[in-house]
Amino acid sequence: MTDVSLLERFIENVGKVSAEAFRASGADELNSLVWRIVGEDAAGKVSVYCPRVTEKEKAVNIPPALLTDNYVSASVCVEEAFAAVAETGSLIWSSRSGKPVQGGLLPAHHLAIVSAEHIYESFEDLFAALGPNLPTNITVESGPSRTADIELTLTVGVHGPERLTIIVV
Amino acid sequence: MSRDTAPIPFRENSARALNDAALRHALVVATDAFVRLRTAAVTSIPFEDWRARASDIRMEVLEGLPQYVERFTEAATKVGAQVHYAVDASAAREVVASILTGHGVRKVVKAKSMVTEEIHLNHHLEGLGIEAVETDLGEYIVQLAGETPSHILAPAIHRSRKDVGKLFAEKLGVPYSEDPAVLTKVARKALREKFLAAEAGISGANFAVAETGSIAIFTNEGNGRMVTTLPRLHVAVFTIEKILPRLADLAFFARMLPRSASGQPLSSYLSIITGTRKPGEATGAEELHIVLLDNGRTRIRDSEFREILKCIRCSACLNVCPVFRKVGGHAYASTYPGPMGIVLTTLLDGMERAHPLLDATTLCGACSEVCPVKVPLVNLIRALRERKVEMGFTSGAEKHAMTAFGAAVGSPFLFRTGQAMWRVLWGLARHVDRPPLNRLPRPAADTFRRRLR
Repeated sequence: MTDVSLLERFIENVGKVSAEAFRASGADELNSLVWRIVGEDAAGKVSVYCPRVTEKEKAVNIPPALLTDNYVSASVCVEEAFAAVAETGSLIWSSRSGKPVQGGLLPAHHLAIVSAEHIYESFEDLFAALGPNLPTNITVESGPSRTADIELTLTVGVHGPERLTIIVV
Repeated sequence: MSRDTAPIPFRENSARALNDAALRHALVVATDAFVRLRTAAVTSIPFEDWRARASDIRMEVLEGLPQYVERFTEAATKVGAQVHYAVDASAAREVVASILTGHGVRKVVKAKSMVTEEIHLNHHLEGLGIEAVETDLGEYIVQLAGETPSHILAPAIHRSRKDVGKLFAEKLGVPYSEDPAVLTKVARKALREKFLAAEAGISGANFAVAETGSIAIFTNEGNGRMVTTLPRLHVAVFTIEKILPRLADLAFFARMLPRSASGQPLSSYLSIITGTRKPGEATGAEELHIVLLDNGRTRIRDSEFREILKCIRCSACLNVCPVFRKVGGHAYASTYPGPMGIVLTTLLDGMERAHPLLDATTLCGACSEVCPVKVPLVNLIRALRERKVEMGFTSGAEKHAMTAFGAAVGSPFLFRTGQAMWRVLWGLARHVDRPPLNRLPRPAADTFRRRLR
């Protein structure tokens, strides 16, 4: 069962780390949201990397002409996260999902889908759920890639995405 | 031990820094911002309770360090990492070099690591014809400029946006710009090519977990993720005291480190890497080498200065230090500047070279107050000062002045006489056309003791 306050805390903290969060109640709503968000990117230049490993990734309706298998040249990556942590508004990516964790790192826009029942309160809860055998790579993503290395001026999109959008289903 | 034992010319370096108006401006802007962000971040948490717990965990590790090193090595080996133990800087350089040359690697990307600065790894690799490119934006800037980092978290804070614009125009052949957003995009493009061409990645580690054999890397830019996932070969170099006992401790320190460092609840990215790529996975280096470096840590652990090894390199003590805020990191001429740097440099490089740094403090205690792991920095600096006097690294003039002062405050007659003489001497000295004699402070019109009565 979904804990509503957990979901709300997650969405609130996502906002605090300069990412956008949307809610979708089912497959249809998810599809139209993905479409709308991807469509906001520069028209005609969009190329979408979607690993199509999870059920939700497979169900996303993207015209084949826009799809690419090459995440290095893609402009947006649409994929489902392994989990999320409410405390910090973070997404959790696991190498055990069978898709490249770096796929969500190289494109300028990362559009993440996360299931509400995969939201954990804290990292302690997440680690407890993962058990003693950890995947080779766990990546915690909290907001877009950023730097303040030049005169402490905050700039996004250094090496990773400059835009992070999250849809909670 | 450093081969170079000539004393660090801290006074000369600071005088130069103080005369550099642009540097002073940059330092004020940066340290003020860091202090403001950190203060805001720690007021929303029970900081005193948390740092007591953080200190306990770090002490637990130092108590049982040999066992934790063993446990980490065992766990990391089990998940596919190859663990190497390096006793000093030259051994670590040799290990890294032999791994890279053994694989015919010519191009390496690096994530920011102060330990590889400590062992001067890049210079060594360069000599072997291996290109090692720093990928943290600040590190990339100082590398292009042929400099060293001036701050352990923000390596290029001493440089203005104009400096960076000129540097990029000159070294990368791009049009001049002083817009940080444009400059960031220039670096993104230049470094993206380096990432995709690299045959190996070298990183440090913010923490290592004994329980699982994992290493943890915090970054905001995403370069740590790239260095550790794009090339097939990953070499991680860090010192033995970075270990935490359990994975749950990492969850706890993930709250402490970013808040103390940049005032963020969590950095944009945290990578937890546990061994090499397993069947069915599409991420992870195929070969992971972990170089566990001692470089004096065991010696420090067994001394009265053990607590400096609790340090998690957040840099909060640099930003609040009244000396660091004025002179910046380069004046210390060492890998680690600021209060934690004074202690660590003296212990690592030896008193002969580092003793001038022990003057780079007012002992005001601000550093001890902000430390997230309760390193008693002021006490450690004071203890090192005592050792400096014992070892004879104090100038004759200072020794005589202190002896005279000690005698004077011990006798009311001598003290009063001294005060009276000072009035006469000051009147004469201010006519001497030579600093500092003509700049000595004017004695108070009335003595404090008399006014108190």
